[in-house]
Amino acid sequence: MLKTYTFHVSGTYCASCKILIEDILNEQEFVKNARVNLKKETVEIETDGEKNPEELAELLTSKVKPNGYTLSVEKIIPARSATQRDAGGEENKKDDVAWKAILIGLVFLALFFMLQKSGILSFGIGGKTTSATSFIVGLIASVSSCLAIVGGLVLSLSAKISQDNVSDTKTFLLFHVGRLVSFAVLGGVLGIIGNAIGINFTFTAILGLLASIVMLMLGLNLVGVFAKNKIALPSELFNFFRKIEHKTFTPLIIGFGTFFLPCGFTQSMQIVALSSGSFTSGMSIMFAFALGTLPMLALLSFGSSSFAHGKHAPLFFKSAGVVVIGLGLFALLAGLAGLGIINPLFSI
Amino acid sequence: MNKTVYIIIALALIVVIGIIFAGGAGATQGVEIKYGVQYIKIDALGGYSPQVTEAKGGMPTKLVVATNGTYDCSASLVIPSISFRKILPQTGETEIDLGIFKTGETLKGLCGMGMYSFQINFN
Repeated sequence: MLKTYTFHVSGTYCASCKILIEDILNEQEFVKNARVNLKKETVEIETDGEKNPEELAELLTSKVKPNGYTLSVEKIIPARSATQRDAGGEENKKDDVAWKAILIGLVFLALFFMLQKSGILSFGIGGKTTSATSFIVGLIASVSSCLAIVGGLVLSLSAKISQDNVSDTKTFLLFHVGRLVSFAVLGGVLGIIGNAIGINFTFTAILGLLASIVMLMLGLNLVGVFAKNKIALPSELFNFFRKIEHKTFTPLIIGFGTFFLPCGFTQSMQIVALSSGSFTSGMSIMFAFALGTLPMLALLSFGSSSFAHGKHAPLFFKSAGVVVIGLGLFALLAGLAGLGIINPLFSI
Repeated sequence: MNKTVYIIIALALIVVIGIIFAGGAGATQGVEIKYGVQYIKIDALGGYSPQVTEAKGGMPTKLVVATNGTYDCSASLVIPSISFRKILPQTGETEIDLGIFKTGETLKGLCGMGMYSFQINFN
């Protein structure tokens, strides 16, 4: 016989939590249907078990506890720590963090764009392209304006994943492995079959626009614009994130997808791989290039994870959000200009 | 620190970023007329130079884009108005026939990702 229980749930701050909790609860054998109501912070469960509500709450809590949620029969009023009790002080402290984050974010953005403008990165690399030169091109690419899109995406996804408390190290490792392997394989494929993949401007430009929109959304989310008002992001987007967070192959796919993101350096290397004429040479060129970009991207992902679990986590998330919004705007405007939709607004 | 200090520093930083994006002066160098055809030369390496070129309108014009060990975005050249999209060879010169532009028209080109651009004014 089916019975319906309603429990209070704590720790639900985002739309992805809804999906996550429902997923976990629906995986339990005795649960027929679980529905989370974000507004009321409740979860409704249909079950055919013989347990009483208290036992059920305890059992289900043990399933979702690792993700930071608690189910209870009575509504839990969060215990306030000494610092939080002083409401005015807390408000001030929050304000302080927000301003600090804006400053830190802007400093990073200014440094980044100054680096691009300085011309330090724009020296020519002559001669025949070997694996060694590809590696160097990769190193340069990883701090160039390509960082705005690939790095921005990695930073925003990493920060978001770390914030949602999912097993981040494994996800990041999979992403980097996926990236290295797919660059090598796709490079090799370019080497033998030539023109078929990777070189379509419109396709890469549209992918770039998508990436910048994701960055903007995640950036706003990290800064706290969405969380504050509990405005949920479109559920398709969160389905997408749920997949990132839950499935093994998604970080691999995203790593694979970075091959097609618009980045002048990547595209140049693809052309080199294309004209290299063999699987092995195309593979070694693209692999060396991806290897060159690895240190910076690894720093971004594992760096965010260590900050996210440190004591400056709130400041880190907000600063990262500001940086990601800046880079996302830059990538979005540049991408629209690249498609010829708007006039180029700037030239760094 | 108090809020005013934060606001002032934040505004200063926004101005700095604004200045970084603004920059770029005009130039007429790199324009050459040979046998009745106007050749406009632009270097592509870490951006396009010159960023603004003044050329003559009403005559057949060819754009020569020179790369020199260029791997960055400026190698992937896009000129939307003539539907030109191509990744240039790492080193070499690429000649693009622009046809005849009328006086007063401008031509804008940019790199595939859109963060480097150049402009040719025909007057």
